[in-house]
Amino acid sequence: MTIFTCSDTFEGILCGVYDAWTSRLGHKNVALELEGTGNMQMFTEYRQVQESLSKAEKVIQAVQTKAGQEVYEQIYRASLSQEAEKADRIYRFLIYALHYGKVILDQLQIPAVYDMFQMNRNVGNEAYLLIEFLRFSQTSDGVLFGMVGPKNDVIILLAPHFADRLHNENWIIYDEKRKKAVVHRALGSWMTVEVSEPGWKERMIKSGDQEEFENLWRAFHKHIAIEERTNPICQRGHLPLRFRPYMTEFQRKREG
Amino acid sequence: MLIQEGMGIQEKLEILADAAKYDVACTSSGVERKNKPGTLGNAVSAGLCHSFAADGRCISLLKILFTNQCIYDCKYCVNRRSNDVKRTAFTPDEVCRLTIEFYRRNYIEGLFLSSGVFHSPDYTMDLLYQTLWKLRNEYRFNGYIHIKAIPGADPVLVERIGLLADRMSVNLELPTSEGLKRLAPAKTRDKILAPMRQIQRGIQVQRQEIVPYRDRRRFVPAGQSTQMIVGATPENDYQMISVAEALYRNYELKRVFYSAFVRVNDDSLLPALPGGPPLLREHRLYQADWLMRFYGFQAGELLSTKQPNFNVFLDPKCDWALRHLEQFPVEINHADYSMILRVPGIGVKSAKRIVAARRSACLEFSDLKKIGVVLKRAVYFITCNGRMMYSVKMNQDFITSQLLGEERRNAWDISQKDAYRQMSMFDDGFLSAKPDENEAMTAAMGQF
Repeated sequence: MTIFTCSDTFEGILCGVYDAWTSRLGHKNVALELEGTGNMQMFTEYRQVQESLSKAEKVIQAVQTKAGQEVYEQIYRASLSQEAEKADRIYRFLIYALHYGKVILDQLQIPAVYDMFQMNRNVGNEAYLLIEFLRFSQTSDGVLFGMVGPKNDVIILLAPHFADRLHNENWIIYDEKRKKAVVHRALGSWMTVEVSEPGWKERMIKSGDQEEFENLWRAFHKHIAIEERTNPICQRGHLPLRFRPYMTEFQRKREG
Repeated sequence: MLIQEGMGIQEKLEILADAAKYDVACTSSGVERKNKPGTLGNAVSAGLCHSFAADGRCISLLKILFTNQCIYDCKYCVNRRSNDVKRTAFTPDEVCRLTIEFYRRNYIEGLFLSSGVFHSPDYTMDLLYQTLWKLRNEYRFNGYIHIKAIPGADPVLVERIGLLADRMSVNLELPTSEGLKRLAPAKTRDKILAPMRQIQRGIQVQRQEIVPYRDRRRFVPAGQSTQMIVGATPENDYQMISVAEALYRNYELKRVFYSAFVRVNDDSLLPALPGGPPLLREHRLYQADWLMRFYGFQAGELLSTKQPNFNVFLDPKCDWALRHLEQFPVEINHADYSMILRVPGIGVKSAKRIVAARRSACLEFSDLKKIGVVLKRAVYFITCNGRMMYSVKMNQDFITSQLLGEERRNAWDISQKDAYRQMSMFDDGFLSAKPDENEAMTAAMGQF
């Protein structure tokens, strides 16, 4: 067995796919792993994947011509997944996808396809929920700042939606767990940045000055519920607890 | 009537959200629209639910009344003329500002504006029109707007407001005209149906345009909806879903909403509800509504004059399947889509996946589970390659008793939430946790 280790990025995984495929060791004898995950195995050769743009581009080219845009989008979303085995799962899926083409997406009875489908659904659902549940607060210089802590690395999937919706605004979506942010300039475009500076988050939160509307929203949220129908289980089913620390209506009033 | 002057915006919002909360429609679906230069907002056709209130209902729109002053005296309504409650009204600018600021912070998907009838229907409708005009043209809001058409308002106003809103709704309130006469003497069936017909015509005319104008606003692009109160008048379920079916068919409504009656007023004409609002009945009506809209069922198949109400213990789809066992079991690998859709435990998504997956393979029960079929319900009604999963007697009593355990627990949860229940040592479908090994051992040894 030969295990190819790659970095936890879309390009990294694609380079891993390229190296494993072109090593000509046979699909059964190779596996992909993310760097720094999993235990070392015996009787296994480890190879570090050399990343380069041209390798990734070749794989993208092959996927798009042989399997189509939908498959390409699916492996991209899967690369954002929280699953530790996502690199190997993408490889196993591509073995089928590059052979059968886009019809493979319907064949959920094949385990490799089902794994792919599941990762996609998980990432897609979380991104959709966060488009709904993200809350911005306005800082003193008018920038909208929203913080999330998702299981999957989804903020890049939120960006196009908000770039269209809040085109005239400066806004930042910050992923607390991965220390990453999407930054959008009013009337301009957006980009992702890694945030390493400590205390940055606290400063953003503190400088919020528009508490008036946050309090109004809390009041509205409280008064729109019908008392006779109170049903916390139903509420929890739709809006899981893990989202609530980031949401204005479930936070208490800020002190000071 | 007590009208207060100089009230703060927060107090106004609290009063007018309280007054609007019994309206159920809070969807933002049905229209896909990109942002335009210089405006704020877009619309997503699947709809977005931004939060969920303590009662588990979604908050998608800023749902408020423009004013809770009303000249009518509908028995069931919290804002009726004879109630002694605080009355207030927003100004158009207040509504616009709230909408914009909430929208920017991603609290809401848009505005749901309704109103009590202030002076006259025309006067009220004009106020709503002014508000929407301001919001669209001065505040440049491009998000979702749902507006109530006030029965009895001038058709010209309805048409103009329809060009600013995404969805319009006229509340039917009660399914029969007798009920309406009893509880809402100022409203008549004709007055309610007239704007509904007008909106439908407006949408139809636009659909028939050969060359649509590119930049013109469309008339009510997300269609219209309505709402009926469940359990305030003695109508049965069959009447309710027949009315709903007629509305879908004759008025091309997008949605009919059902709202379990909450007794907010103490009135001798209203029924007493010792067990709280009829939530289970409302749930069954929604299930039936979905069956009619997405599963190809007709109202007459689900209920009849002989069986006018839904089964408390079984959902409408299971109930129908059990009464039509001659059509089952269905062979998953050959049956057509419409028949697969009728199997309990299979929804629209899994039916579509089944049809797509079986093109290239022969499906087994383990595959169905992956596809998303709820096997514990479906096993009694399907075969894979001519075989059932277990040997099951196709006998109505047997299958009913098998299905009941699970359904009873769901029905109990909905109708008796927060209530305690007498424990039974026999046939207890409600025990969720299994005893662990130690407990089992001590019980067996008699050492409690």
